[in-house]
Amino acid sequence: MKDSIYRSHVLVCTGTGCVSSGSKTIKDTMEEELASHDLTGEIKIVETGCHGFCEKGPIMIIYPEGVFYCEVKADDVAEIVEEHLLKGRTVERLLFKEPLTEEQIPSYKDIDFYKKQHRIVLTNCGKIDPEDIDEYIALGGYEAIGKVLTEMDSQTVVDEIKESGLRGRGGGGFPTGLKWQFAKNSDGDKKYVVCNADEGDPGAEVCWKVILIV
Amino acid sequence: MKTLAELKELRDKVQREMKKRDQGTRAEIIVGMGTCGIAAGAREILKSVLAEVEKRELDVRITQTGCIGMCEKEPLIDVKLPGKERVTYGNLTTADIPKIISEHVVNGNVVTDLVIAKH
Repeated sequence: MKDSIYRSHVLVCTGTGCVSSGSKTIKDTMEEELASHDLTGEIKIVETGCHGFCEKGPIMIIYPEGVFYCEVKADDVAEIVEEHLLKGRTVERLLFKEPLTEEQIPSYKDIDFYKKQHRIVLTNCGKIDPEDIDEYIALGGYEAIGKVLTEMDSQTVVDEIKESGLRGRGGGGFPTGLKWQFAKNSDGDKKYVVCNADEGDPGAEVCWKVILIV
Repeated sequence: MKTLAELKELRDKVQREMKKRDQGTRAEIIVGMGTCGIAAGAREILKSVLAEVEKRELDVRITQTGCIGMCEKEPLIDVKLPGKERVTYGNLTTADIPKIISEHVVNGNVVTDLVIAKH
């Protein structure tokens, strides 16, 4: 990790939808443009997972302002660097336009599509680089397992999960705590956790998606 | 990594970096980066703002803005503390930056002799 801070983060969506509409080229062009303006040490490019708004892709979000650019083309990158990153002027023609009001919405959090979403499992989606484990840790990753291994005994853990009401997401909705209790009660010193991360329905791959983007 | 403490240390370190993506309220320094600002040396001003903020490990949002129509007073920066009025400093040199940051951003006292506007 770089020791100094970056003044701005450019999040380029590299989910499947945005990649197929050209986000990899956009990222490469961005790298070249930043280098030619001597901005490489000041501005960080972050690849993120899918933001769930693929039809508006490729998507780019620039922090600290939280400006949301959509349908970005490689040809637009030079303008974004020159105008937004160097001079601080939002490139208005690339902002999202609300379909009903035709209003241009500069900020990610103010877009109707996102405003009404309350993300739980996907709360970090689009905010972090899923290939950088440090970013996951920064958002509390591994703290639960750390606590379990160092501060709790196995029965307390099982009780906690029972208490939480957590259930499997398959058709049965089987209580997870109960499943863990059966595993704990069964014979044998060694127990194994098998994580298939597939989700039963063919092609659904819900868990796989979660692992991929957050 | 062996302990929870190590995990927390790493978490806090990366969190500081990732705060750039946090939209919460915090002090903001806005550097005038219109053509006039750039010509008057705004790039150097921006670099010293970055260096000073980094040196003091401050949680400050640094952004840029275009020409605000006071080209003759460039380079200029605005300091906006949460809940306070926005203060514009002008005719700056890089030597003024540490003073503005330590006095205004850290201690909350406006550096009156460099102020050109409040709004």
